[in-house]
Amino acid sequence: MRKAKALAVVAGLSIVTAACGGADPAEPAPAANGASSAPAAKTLEGVTLEVAAKWTGEEQTNFEAVLKAFQDKTGAKVTYASTGEDTGAYLGPRIQGGNPPDIAILPQPGLVQQYAEQKALKPLASEVQAEIDKNYTPYWKELGSADGQVYGVLVKAAHKSLIWYRAPAFEEAGVQPPTDWATLLTAAQTVADSGTPPFSFCGASGWTLTDLFENVYLSTAGPENYDKLSKHEIPWTDASVTTALEKMAEITGKKEFVLGGSSTALQTEFPACVTKVYGEKKAAMIIEADFVAASASESGAKVGEDAKFFPFPKAGETEPVVLGGDIAVALKESKGAMALLQYLASAEGGAVWAKLPGYLSPNRNVPATTYPSPVTQQLAQTIIDAGESVRYDMSDLAPSAFGGTDGKGEWKYLQDFLRDPSDIKGIQEKLESEATKAWKK
Amino acid sequence: MTDRSDGPQATRGDGKSAARGASPEPQPTTPPAKGAQGPTPRMALWFLLPALILLGAMVIYPIIFSIFRSFFDSAGDTFVGADNYTAIFTDASMLTTIRNNLIWVVIAPILVTTIGLIFAVLTERIKWATAFKLIVFMPMAVSLMASGVIFRLVYEQDPDKGVANAVITSVGDVFDSSQGYPGARPRENDAAPALENGAVVTRQPIQAGQPALLPLVGLKPDLLPADAVTAKAVTGPGVGGTVWLDFAPGGGGAVGKIDDNEKGMPGVTVEAVQQGAVKGTTTTAADGSFTFAGLPAGDYVMRLPQSNFTASFGGVSWLGPTLITPAIIGAFIWVWAGFAMVLIAAGLAAIPRDALEAARIDGATEWQVFRKITVPLLSPVLVVVFVTMIINTLKVFDLVFVIAPGSVQPQANVIALEMWRVSFGGGGNQGLGSALSIFLLVLVLPFMIINIRRFRREQQ
Amino acid sequence: MMATATVERTVANSAGAPKRGVLGRVIDRLGGGFLQALLIVVALFWLMPTLGLLIVSIRGETFNNSSGWWTAFTQPAQLTLANYSDLLATGFTSSFWNTIAITVPATLLVIGIAAMAGYAFAWIEFPGRDAVFLVVVALLVVPIQIALIPIAKLYGSLNIFGSIPGVVLFHVAFGLPFAIFLLRNFFAGIPKELLEAARMDGAGEWKIFATVVFPLAKPAIASLGIFQFLWVWNDLLVALVFADTDNQPMTKALQSQMRQFGTNVDILAPGAFLSLIIPLVLFFAFQRYFVQGMMAGSVK
Repeated sequence: MRKAKALAVVAGLSIVTAACGGADPAEPAPAANGASSAPAAKTLEGVTLEVAAKWTGEEQTNFEAVLKAFQDKTGAKVTYASTGEDTGAYLGPRIQGGNPPDIAILPQPGLVQQYAEQKALKPLASEVQAEIDKNYTPYWKELGSADGQVYGVLVKAAHKSLIWYRAPAFEEAGVQPPTDWATLLTAAQTVADSGTPPFSFCGASGWTLTDLFENVYLSTAGPENYDKLSKHEIPWTDASVTTALEKMAEITGKKEFVLGGSSTALQTEFPACVTKVYGEKKAAMIIEADFVAASASESGAKVGEDAKFFPFPKAGETEPVVLGGDIAVALKESKGAMALLQYLASAEGGAVWAKLPGYLSPNRNVPATTYPSPVTQQLAQTIIDAGESVRYDMSDLAPSAFGGTDGKGEWKYLQDFLRDPSDIKGIQEKLESEATKAWKK
Repeated sequence: MTDRSDGPQATRGDGKSAARGASPEPQPTTPPAKGAQGPTPRMALWFLLPALILLGAMVIYPIIFSIFRSFFDSAGDTFVGADNYTAIFTDASMLTTIRNNLIWVVIAPILVTTIGLIFAVLTERIKWATAFKLIVFMPMAVSLMASGVIFRLVYEQDPDKGVANAVITSVGDVFDSSQGYPGARPRENDAAPALENGAVVTRQPIQAGQPALLPLVGLKPDLLPADAVTAKAVTGPGVGGTVWLDFAPGGGGAVGKIDDNEKGMPGVTVEAVQQGAVKGTTTTAADGSFTFAGLPAGDYVMRLPQSNFTASFGGVSWLGPTLITPAIIGAFIWVWAGFAMVLIAAGLAAIPRDALEAARIDGATEWQVFRKITVPLLSPVLVVVFVTMIINTLKVFDLVFVIAPGSVQPQANVIALEMWRVSFGGGGNQGLGSALSIFLLVLVLPFMIINIRRFRREQQ
Repeated sequence: MMATATVERTVANSAGAPKRGVLGRVIDRLGGGFLQALLIVVALFWLMPTLGLLIVSIRGETFNNSSGWWTAFTQPAQLTLANYSDLLATGFTSSFWNTIAITVPATLLVIGIAAMAGYAFAWIEFPGRDAVFLVVVALLVVPIQIALIPIAKLYGSLNIFGSIPGVVLFHVAFGLPFAIFLLRNFFAGIPKELLEAARMDGAGEWKIFATVVFPLAKPAIASLGIFQFLWVWNDLLVALVFADTDNQPMTKALQSQMRQFGTNVDILAPGAFLSLIIPLVLFFAFQRYFVQGMMAGSVK
């Protein structure tokens, strides 16, 4: 689903890294800080494991370096299988055919629920759970759970509460990075007055719109409502949604704020909208996650100089920090699978990974200093600081028919909203009716 | 081309009637197979076995399986009766999907057949018919995936990139070329001039000797013409004022005041309006100033008509929600017109000349010959082409999937695509997916029956 | 024989030696020059999309991002093969070989299996022959969507989901109805005297099939072969469902780049062009058989 992202994340931050002196990605980086990393006997000699994830290219290479560290430690042999863009489409038939991989890394928690219902997941062993309790806030633990049973470990995070801007465009208009919603609006207006459309939206990629909505909603409605809406415990017709959509319309609904108008925005996929900001220099800002860095530097911008970001300003009471991320689950009962999950959940495994570019860990015991570049360190620190109030990407928590499918649910109606922001109530009703259907299944 | 249904195989059953039109020779019928030492039926089994196993296991069994599966929920363990089918006909987006298929079935086959007929007739008259046919026929060899990429390029919105809009806008520019300052507008505050129907007007009427200020923003300074110079206020006795870009690079500057680093906007048409009637028209100078010569004293509202700000025609939004299905049908025609043309040309070639000559001798006009003789004689071929196209449109998948951008996929959706999406592409509901595939099968059922009937008629 | 003769005659005609034709005089009124010009415009119109793809594929990325491909006519300096070398560096070549590994066996298997079945239907008498053949006729129009879910399950339990053999088998199964139909009708047109003479000589059915019928059927087999080849080569849907990333053919590899269309043209255009060049060459080399196959489908 998140086609663009997977590739972008790694490459992006790796460029950040490279700019800052970088780490050697080939280095297996034995962890310095785990008691569990004692030169123990290789307990899993002869065990073979298959891990499936959607990562390709450099992201895959980095993950394989982590797997390699695990192999060196335990003696197990781990093979990596790429699921392609659509993890669900890859796993579905393999699960039904009774031949799943030992471990799969799911791009959305929604899939955890889905597979738990199909009884395709194996509950985590108590050692793994203990590791999770040690390293993660309860919120993350719950994300990997279904019906009170813990199935998954969040192994990788993406920071979605950022607004990227093109520094020269801000200079031209004479504005400073905004710090709250009001200054965001005045900055946008000033940039528009200077002749540059302030925002470039990737309306054709529905998930960029849900990310925007989630930041506004978390900010205006607060974490509690956010959780309720995520679980569809309050309806989409709720007044808090109206408020959030009204706020959102303050930037998406103004003709001169949207590069090319809504019809062009709706035909622009991620990361073409990034290219329009940094490559073609047609707009000033883009509201998306850390991985924008990759596309920005591909378009020729220097991340940290031309391409900068500021935290998504709070539109209400709460400073929003929304994360995306991937969850590892076991699909087969085996000792090796649990050992690998435990390793991935540990600070030791996290630290091996964190040294490589393009990775953010949700593990609170992976210190920010582990990361190879100041930008990543700063991002990691915001996650650790936000602690309990960090929230996970809401659309990824929803059943994918509602939160992650082209032409359906949230994607479709937020696109409709970008096209015509006048009928908030109608949009809410349609969202609610789709949500009801999706949660019923 | 991707779908098995494409092309000839679908026509084959319907081919009988075409044969009558196209080949006057007697057709071979089912051969009598009794040889001297005729082969035994057991022999037949050996020859047939691989085919029967494959067809049984991979075509027939799936049909039966899907029928059963369509009555169960997404997980496949709860019987839900006809719920999946009800969902197909009640869900709003699903109804859009069905409506799109309807549009496809009604429009695409007629267009393809008509265009094929026209090409077939016209090529009879040219020396390079073979080359022409090859060119038009060539897309048949191109995958629909690649065709999709091709047409994404053609339909690109930006006239600098998409050839369709490049052609349209350059034609449009011949009639209406834009100069002026598209995008320029007054600031949003009470002191700034107001926007009225796209024109910029001063809020207060002015009089002679009381220069009007018309500050505008929203335009990049480098888009000003090269001759623009620093804006200057007008200090004359007459009615006049200044139109200037009220935004200094780097910010700063007072809002609504002419600052030193702000440039005038030359060439803007200004109208002096009194009680709704235009009393005078002039144009701004390089420093943005303007004066009206010889206006009688009185109160005037300064108006910058909309023509100063109209953007040049940006082309058609082919891939937007309204035009997406017609745009994809255009790609479909590009792919299939050659198929229709070649079949119809073959039919045309087989029409007996004497019938036509006889009619002409009887004094029929060419149009009458075409209408009364050619078309009826061709009708079997036309039917074959038409029916093949109907089947193809029912199963169209790749083109829609590839050409429609994510945000307009719902508006472009068709059943074959929805079936994939629901079952594999994130929907995860194979119950509904099975119901959709059965629905698709039901839609082609009439053609299956036609095929069988034709075949049996032929056997007799 | 007659069938072939008919086909070839029609094709020869349709391939268009100019002749004073049916509607010739109607069109005379349009004026020959006007007609020529009109058809030239149409031909250009039909060529333009493919031409555009070719040019985009050999233009530098920055040019593609800023201007239309047609500007390359006036500024040939825009042209470069960099996109192609970039593309080949991405591992696109493996999907090219996957396409070959899927298409070639799927074509050969369909020809072999369908020829055997077609022979049985045409020349071996057995009870229920017409009924069974009717079933094959009925299967001609069955949409492949119907089999996606059941076969995915079947492959899962056979452990070939995602593999190349799985994709090949699917293509073979759904290619068979057309192939059997085509070959059976062609075989039926072979004079029975030939077969009877062979049988008199005491040749077995396998021998007759292999030495008498199969060689005679070359034109039909060529037609079938090129059709099947193109179908499989150009398929997206089957690959989308049944081929995993390691085994994906070019169509699927391209599709996965499609979502980033705006920034990926420099990969998509050369990829799409590479994917269509082989079918195109085959098409031009064998267009006679292609047209024959089409005729045989409808004109038989």
